[in-house]
Amino acid sequence: MAPEKSVSRRSGAPAVYAHGLVKQFGPRRALDGVDLSVPEGAFLSIFGPNGAGKTTLLRTLALLSRPTRGSLALMGVDALDEPDELRARIGLISHRSMLYGDLSAQENLEFFSALYRGEPDRGRIRELLELVELDHRRHDAVRTYSRGMQQRLSIARALVNDPDLVLLDEPYSGLDPHAAELFDELIARVREGRTFIMVSHDLEKGFDLCTHALIMARGQVVVCADKAGIDRAAFRELYLATVGMGVA
Amino acid sequence: MAQDSKPGTMRVSSWRQYRALLLKDLRQEVRTREMLTSMVVYALLVLTIYGAALAQVGDRVEVVSFAGGLLWALIIFTSLLGLNRSFSHETESGCLEGILLAPVDRAVVFLAKATSNLIFLALVELITVPLFFLFFLSGAELASTTPMMLLPLVVGTIGVAGVGTLLSTMTIDTRGRDVLLAILFIPVVFPLLYACVSATSVALMGVEGTFGTFWTSLALAGAYDVIMIAAAWGLYEFVVDA
Repeated sequence: MAPEKSVSRRSGAPAVYAHGLVKQFGPRRALDGVDLSVPEGAFLSIFGPNGAGKTTLLRTLALLSRPTRGSLALMGVDALDEPDELRARIGLISHRSMLYGDLSAQENLEFFSALYRGEPDRGRIRELLELVELDHRRHDAVRTYSRGMQQRLSIARALVNDPDLVLLDEPYSGLDPHAAELFDELIARVREGRTFIMVSHDLEKGFDLCTHALIMARGQVVVCADKAGIDRAAFRELYLATVGMGVA
Repeated sequence: MAQDSKPGTMRVSSWRQYRALLLKDLRQEVRTREMLTSMVVYALLVLTIYGAALAQVGDRVEVVSFAGGLLWALIIFTSLLGLNRSFSHETESGCLEGILLAPVDRAVVFLAKATSNLIFLALVELITVPLFFLFFLSGAELASTTPMMLLPLVVGTIGVAGVGTLLSTMTIDTRGRDVLLAILFIPVVFPLLYACVSATSVALMGVEGTFGTFWTSLALAGAYDVIMIAAAWGLYEFVVDA
């Protein structure tokens, strides 16, 4: 059974509200005036060619990178003024596990839990390890895990702080079909009460999971819409045309 | 510090985060011994090279007159190796990002990493400094002031760990980071190195009337530590969030 999501501090504000986001690396603009509004509880899939600015956008939303210009509010809180309050409410799952290979699953989760709470929340860690079906390997070094197991454990790591906003950066990268299926199941079990934003190159999977879809190119939003209002074939064509545009 | 049931509704004690970060580094090193082993082996190799070089001059030179310089060259090169490795676990699977995702003051991350580097450097010095004395100074007549060299050793090691932690963070994601760290580290740490070599040499030789130099050098090294570590503390957020 999935660990219960504690009551979300719903504010009625969008989970993500960005206006005119610019991120400049030297002469190159990775984000070039991104406007975005994601409602609470939505699942937004972001597509686009390599170099479109998808990962930069995700890193900015994860508060790992400060925008050069523009405004950003997460869950109704100004992200540039109150980053620490928001960091406690964000989880990130990337194609990199962000786990220490020489530590066990238990030790990794205890470490990250202590960063969020001061002391590890062992009850929640036990629940999360059961959720990702790794409780029987809790004392084994993460280095001995398969890629799929590490990715499952990275879900537990990202949920250790019970986040309201979960960011996924190409989480299927390197997973075999079975591991990807398990990953989907886990995401489905922890969906309730959370907003998800996923960067993906897999149009079919990303589209199946999402409630909203976005295409980026050259640091700009090409289209962002509610899935209910999107014609899948037309979206696919637009995506392919965008990929053909190349990088910024 | 008081805690609520959910992160984000509370402020977590920086001390507890510092303790978690430091214990994680120590636990990893106890398990892998990567940093300590490589630093000790490297230090032993440097001592061997010193031995080969000094064997050629026999009794014609008084090693004690330049032992301070030799000892600090050993410490600086060994610490460079350790500093290069100190972030290898953090970058391996993107773990540093995992830390930076959490509501941790970046200065706390710096302080914890600098402390673990300091502990590892101190442990390596505990092994190599006595060996240095055994190999090169066992036959020499040591001054009664020799134990005073512990002061520049402590002050210098703190500075090396602090500045080295900042610079190794800056070079994490660069190509050829080993070389780049050395290129940045040695010029930046040079004033500290100069002051510590001077104070160590005075303590080892114990020449009457030179203790003004000892205390002046030690004060310079101490001032360097305070200024550079305060700067590193303040700059760390810019470095990791860049």
